[in-house]
Amino acid sequence: MLAGMRRRVPLAVTCVACVLGFLGGARRAAAYESEIDASVAAQFYTLESPYGEPLLRRRRYTNTLGISLYDLQGDRSTNGPVLSFRSRVRLDADLGQDPAERDPTSSRFVPGLEQAPFDLMYAYLEGERYFGGAFGFRLGRQYVADVLGWWSFDGAEVALRTPAYLRFEAYGGLEQRSGLPMLTTPRFQADGVARGSRDDLRADQWTSYLEQSQVAPAFGVAVETSDLWWLHARLTYRRVTNRDSVVISPFLPTDGVIRTYSQDRVSTERFGGSLRLSPVSFGSLSGSIVYDFYAGLVSEQSLALDAYATSRLTFGADYERVVPTFDADSIFNWFAHSAVTSMTGRADVRLSRRLDAALNFGARLFETLGDPTTFAATSDQAVVKRELDPFTMLFGRYRYNDGSVSLRSQADYGARGHRIGADVTHRQEYSRGYYDSLVVLSLYDFKDELRPDRYATSFSYVLGCGMKPGGLGDRARLGVEWEHAMNRLVGQRYRVLATLDLSVFR
Amino acid sequence: MSAPRDFGPWLLLVACALALVCGLRAPVAAETTPAPEASASAAVVTHGLGPLPNGASVPERLRPPGAEVDDGGPSPVIFPVQSIGIRFDHARHVGLGATCTTCHDRARTSRSSSDSLLPAGTRCDACHGTNHRGDTVTANGDPLSACATCHLGYRPADGQRVLRTSLPPPHLRFDHAVHAERGIACASCHGAVGSLELATVDQLPRMRGCFSCHTSDAPKGAKPSRACPTCHLTEHGTLLVTTFAEGKLEPPAWLHDAEHGPDWLERHKRVAGDDSAFCASCHAERFCTNCHDGRVRPRQVHPNDFLSMHAVAARQNSPTCTSCHQEQSFCLSCHQRAGITMSGPVGNLTHQGRFHPPPAIWTEGPRGPGHHSWEAERNLNACVSCHTERDCATCHATAAMGGVGSGSTSGRHTDPHPPGFVTRCGRALRQNARPCLVCHDPTDPDLSSCR
Repeated sequence: MLAGMRRRVPLAVTCVACVLGFLGGARRAAAYESEIDASVAAQFYTLESPYGEPLLRRRRYTNTLGISLYDLQGDRSTNGPVLSFRSRVRLDADLGQDPAERDPTSSRFVPGLEQAPFDLMYAYLEGERYFGGAFGFRLGRQYVADVLGWWSFDGAEVALRTPAYLRFEAYGGLEQRSGLPMLTTPRFQADGVARGSRDDLRADQWTSYLEQSQVAPAFGVAVETSDLWWLHARLTYRRVTNRDSVVISPFLPTDGVIRTYSQDRVSTERFGGSLRLSPVSFGSLSGSIVYDFYAGLVSEQSLALDAYATSRLTFGADYERVVPTFDADSIFNWFAHSAVTSMTGRADVRLSRRLDAALNFGARLFETLGDPTTFAATSDQAVVKRELDPFTMLFGRYRYNDGSVSLRSQADYGARGHRIGADVTHRQEYSRGYYDSLVVLSLYDFKDELRPDRYATSFSYVLGCGMKPGGLGDRARLGVEWEHAMNRLVGQRYRVLATLDLSVFR
Repeated sequence: MSAPRDFGPWLLLVACALALVCGLRAPVAAETTPAPEASASAAVVTHGLGPLPNGASVPERLRPPGAEVDDGGPSPVIFPVQSIGIRFDHARHVGLGATCTTCHDRARTSRSSSDSLLPAGTRCDACHGTNHRGDTVTANGDPLSACATCHLGYRPADGQRVLRTSLPPPHLRFDHAVHAERGIACASCHGAVGSLELATVDQLPRMRGCFSCHTSDAPKGAKPSRACPTCHLTEHGTLLVTTFAEGKLEPPAWLHDAEHGPDWLERHKRVAGDDSAFCASCHAERFCTNCHDGRVRPRQVHPNDFLSMHAVAARQNSPTCTSCHQEQSFCLSCHQRAGITMSGPVGNLTHQGRFHPPPAIWTEGPRGPGHHSWEAERNLNACVSCHTERDCATCHATAAMGGVGSGSTSGRHTDPHPPGFVTRCGRALRQNARPCLVCHDPTDPDLSSCR
């Protein structure tokens, strides 16, 4: 069996099958609608280290299967209760990996590397608009997306909507982390710590690669406005707890005994707020703020103002300030002092329903703090120093009945290098969408000032085509893309992408 | 060594800017069907060919509530393009005593937006002296009864053939009867059609107009639903249908500031972070996961050959990278495989040259630009994408924990803590002592002072 799937697959498949079986048996077949969609993507390309070696061969096959059931409540009414089930699983295999990279006894071992991780992306039962629209719930693996980020957990969420234009939300469960028995990944846990399964590792081997924290209780609450089209505000709080034993020092102590820490402790604890106010057709004002309780600082704040000069022209100004924060297990929290501040001006013009364009321009401000009491007592650290990186982006889009032409260009400059260039993308459908084509042309010039030898002008193109097999309409598409990049550093690089998408809705 | 100059991108940018300026100066085409050329016989009757005589623009007070200046009419995705094969002067008919329901009487009972509410030709017969009953239409010879009086482009040689009028049903749910029962006047949605000659697609309702009732500001006593599916077609549970033959349904700018313009990708997080439920009105999870958790590089985010220049991008704007990528898994594992990490299977490739600037700048020099502490403060995420905590602890941990010393009174003065740390270290220690213990021995006086 492919590495990474191991014992977790049967349990997860059984659980999903049970849920589907339960739901399927609960109603007559005609009472609900079902949707099954599947996609297969095969990618073939080769990566080269900046040193020329090693060469990494990527032979990736990604299979995704979604199963959803709608209107489980039976008769549908426009504003009545709705009960549905949604799920999606994915197998992401890279058959180009060198087996030595997964062998702990090999000098090429890469901790955490899996050949074919199989994960349950989400699977939940959702009820909406119960009790006259006042109550809703979700049960299962689900996402939460708000100003605190895009996050996933296994558990339950309930929501209560009041007539006073307020909606209350509470959820609790386990943060989705690798190590849980239900095909999980570490994508949603806070960053800053490298961890995963140490099943095949000796205690003194790769000590900085921590044992995965399997069970991380989490809960959150939120209150937000509802049904006010001119105003939306949300206050949200979330806390995740680390529970498992974790190695303390990445170095092997002289006595040879690896020390661990096992107490329940904060993983993340954050409070966030967001607001959008667009009371009139003149424009919109929005802002957000996130406070990290562990780091004890405001980690994100933003403010944006858009002015609708005419129905076709919008001007905007954005401000965003971000200080990196990490899982509280990570020492990187105490290396993060300074913010990256972005200030962007924007003009968006809709010349017609088919043609529109946008110009973004601004600068990123990088700061470094100096404090002679904590850094070396040298005068060069006594002041805050700043660097300003200007940037601009230009977008254009022309859409017509059977296709589109779009432009995406950017110019980023700064003390750490530059990146300037543009993509032009053309999509076209033929024979009422039976066939389609894709052409992308790109020209970029870039330079990494920290590594002066890393500069190049890159030209690349993509040629793609697709077709919808007869009789299936929009429910199936077969596509192939060929990508060819050329620059001084890598010479010629090729990539082939083949996709097959299928969807059945009944 | 300096990078070779290439003016290709600049030329492209200048060309696009010129195209923009030219486009701005060009008149905007209205999404209406041009009226067919009037025939010689119809030249006698010049009214009813457009909303107002001589192509005059309709004043705002006569247009539907919510219509914006120069908005080009309602979205053709909701109201597909119409083809009107007749001339008609609403104002003249109203002046003669007709009301809306004199001709559009079915509006009072219609339950579905797909119902045709246009009057049949027979409705004209009583006044115009025509007879539209049966297969053959006849006229009494009066000029008012001439076919060309109403039917555009009609010539006697056309016989019984006239231009077709096609008003495709809108992609909406709408119950005229419910609105009529509640006493909502036609003009509340359609504007002052009775003051106009020809009613075009521009007199069809705007969503902003609907919001005058379907919102919290609804008239007292009314309880119109505010949910999107009240009017919009849905599929897959409560998702709005957004793909039609006429195009994609997209929100206007004034609705949650969510106009999906060409730079929407750059600014969508502001809307999604504030109100993801609004996004979920139209988008299922897979729409988000295809980019944020996808396994195929999204071209609209990463241009071609992004692999070659991703390092520059990460140094310039790492907060954007972390919205999709985990540094200590996604970035680190690939960097370890490629042999460019300090700790890794093929790391420390000393024979292949140093990755960072020379030690005189990177580690030993004054802490200015180019020094690793400066770079870490400037953009820590870039460090975390390659380094594990062990790499940092090598120097920053105290000697007791295997490092080379730290603190303000001992070691190499490699204390990385930020200014003001002493005021919050106690709370941090109580919440999670693990990172403290990576660098400090439990008996470390610095640690004790935080307790």
